[in-house]
Amino acid sequence: MTTTIAEFFEGDLAPLVRRMADRPRGEGGDTDDDRRETRAMVWEGLTGLGALDDDDAVGLAELLGSVLYQGPLLDTLTARELFPDADLGHAPVALAAGSYSGQDETITARCDFVGFADEVEHFAVVGGDRSALVRAGHPSITTRRHEETGRGELYRVDFTDTPVTTWAGPVDWEPARVRQAAYLVGLAQAALDHAVGYAKTRRQFGRAIGANQALSFRLAELSMRVDAARLLVHDRDAAAHAAGTLAEVADLARTVTVQTMQIHGAAGMRSDDDAQLYYRRAAAESVRLPQPRG
Amino acid sequence: MTPVFTPEQEGFREKVCALLCEDVVRAEIAQSRRTPYGEESGLLDVHRRLGKLGWLAINWPERYGGSGATIVEKAIVTEEMIRHGIPENVHSLGVDIVGNAINLMGTDEQKERYLPGLARGETTANVLFSEPDVGSDLGSLATRAEPDGDGYRLTGRKIYNMKAQHSDFALCAARTSTGPVNYAGITLFLVPLHTLGTVIEPVWNLSEERFDLITLDGIRIGREDVLGEVDDGWQVLNRVLPFERTGLDHSAKAERTLAALREHAPPGSAERLERLETRVRAARLLAWRCIANLHEGKPDEIHSATAKWYTSETAKEVSVAAVELLGPQALLDARDPDAIADGVFDAAFREAPGLTLAQGSSEIMLYFVATSKLGLPS
Repeated sequence: MTTTIAEFFEGDLAPLVRRMADRPRGEGGDTDDDRRETRAMVWEGLTGLGALDDDDAVGLAELLGSVLYQGPLLDTLTARELFPDADLGHAPVALAAGSYSGQDETITARCDFVGFADEVEHFAVVGGDRSALVRAGHPSITTRRHEETGRGELYRVDFTDTPVTTWAGPVDWEPARVRQAAYLVGLAQAALDHAVGYAKTRRQFGRAIGANQALSFRLAELSMRVDAARLLVHDRDAAAHAAGTLAEVADLARTVTVQTMQIHGAAGMRSDDDAQLYYRRAAAESVRLPQPRG
Repeated sequence: MTPVFTPEQEGFREKVCALLCEDVVRAEIAQSRRTPYGEESGLLDVHRRLGKLGWLAINWPERYGGSGATIVEKAIVTEEMIRHGIPENVHSLGVDIVGNAINLMGTDEQKERYLPGLARGETTANVLFSEPDVGSDLGSLATRAEPDGDGYRLTGRKIYNMKAQHSDFALCAARTSTGPVNYAGITLFLVPLHTLGTVIEPVWNLSEERFDLITLDGIRIGREDVLGEVDDGWQVLNRVLPFERTGLDHSAKAERTLAALREHAPPGSAERLERLETRVRAARLLAWRCIANLHEGKPDEIHSATAKWYTSETAKEVSVAAVELLGPQALLDARDPDAIADGVFDAAFREAPGLTLAQGSSEIMLYFVATSKLGLPS
């Protein structure tokens, strides 16, 4: 199934997907274009191809990272594990982490960095001993988009006596962490490919910059680290080491994208170059899930 | 070694700090960080106030708007401006790079014409070196200056420069002759920016400040606009670079980000913070070693390269570590109402890639130290 989804992302769709949640600001273009239509189209495509029931969710997450997919799919997979009996259909769900107070019928909570809050159909409010599923769109819910490095779709969401559809126990973060780590492996590989491509073609001092061992060895080292990280996330014991793996891969994704920026020089900082996109995304995605306590 | 300041210099630093800590200055800085996207501040009132006191270019002669002080006092001003969060590119481009080059290598007429405005904080300048195909390899630049009567016509494209929209003129590198040695035949010109034949187009980018693509379409410049000697721009650059590559700006930025990080870091970060703090202290020592060299009239290229590499890499490391330690809170832009530390972490993270590229990339510094200090084959 992942192969079919990979084919879906190939071709003309790829550049659109990479910027499907990138909202340029004050750059002379249409800043109101939040690219929601692209995300809706991709959601339809992914769910139509069975992404919500993929038996290789880790492989799928890596694929999503490699195309810089931005959307509620990974959150939705976690929510479906958390509420297996809820009738969610193909509805998108956002995880909303934060402290809350709740009674049996309603919940009150403030949650930051909630992805795609204005376009999901449900929120899974997590972070305490219990998790609550609530329907989006209720008047008791307010959202405000964050201004942040990733310039994506992260929101503050306030729930005030919001009706709860279903309660569940605490979220089991291990599978989510492994998927997030896999996403970051995909992202790191794509950023690395971007840097390698540039190092082969950019010429300074009469030769390709990649002919310099200072650069080529750095790229080779990162390639080997990505290779190792990929084995970690696909390992059968991955869930048992999820927190450590995610910490390692998060660091790797930041390192790879820092180097991708360095190798591109000033050209990589340009908004029309994907290097800066990988750099922003690695920052945001590497800290997206709550850190383990202790 | 820890820099030793005279009591007068310590007193001067206190005065600079007192001014930069005034509520009105802090309010202006905070506001400048929240300018609408796509806009950015140029010179601020605080620059003009420092200029009026003769502090902005304090090491320049009084008749050009300075106070005739030494590079040490200038470094104190720079360090405190950055520590206090004053947007410094507009200042460093105008005073520390272009103005300093004119002060060191310009004719009396050029100094009279350009320096007082820069020193007062009323005008600024930018640098036109990089081209679409020319970054570190400045010797291969394509912009050319063709003789035209008693002057030149300048044709070419310059990119990745900053603050053109606020600058009155620029220091531009162009080829005036060709020969077997790439670096020979480059001349530096002082060129007007807002003139017929010059087209400025914004190039939006990751950082808070836009780049510009500047097309020079045969603009006429006079012989009096040459800085230094014709065909000898490389010598001018070599004379000026040690002043640009002290690393002081980067060490001060690292200090500022780290100070905010220390304030907001979660429990359990102590060990990491201590390591970063040690790096930042070393960065400052390397920077001040360069300042001391310049003060003694003995610039040292290896010290400069070491300081540039170490301080910029350290500032970048602190910025990336802030994301790791603080999590998503570090990502909030100054324009977000809940941003911590005035959004310093997001701004530093987006500025970080440029630090190890501008003023000579890390790779160029490493190459120089490998070949010149260690004597390894090139």
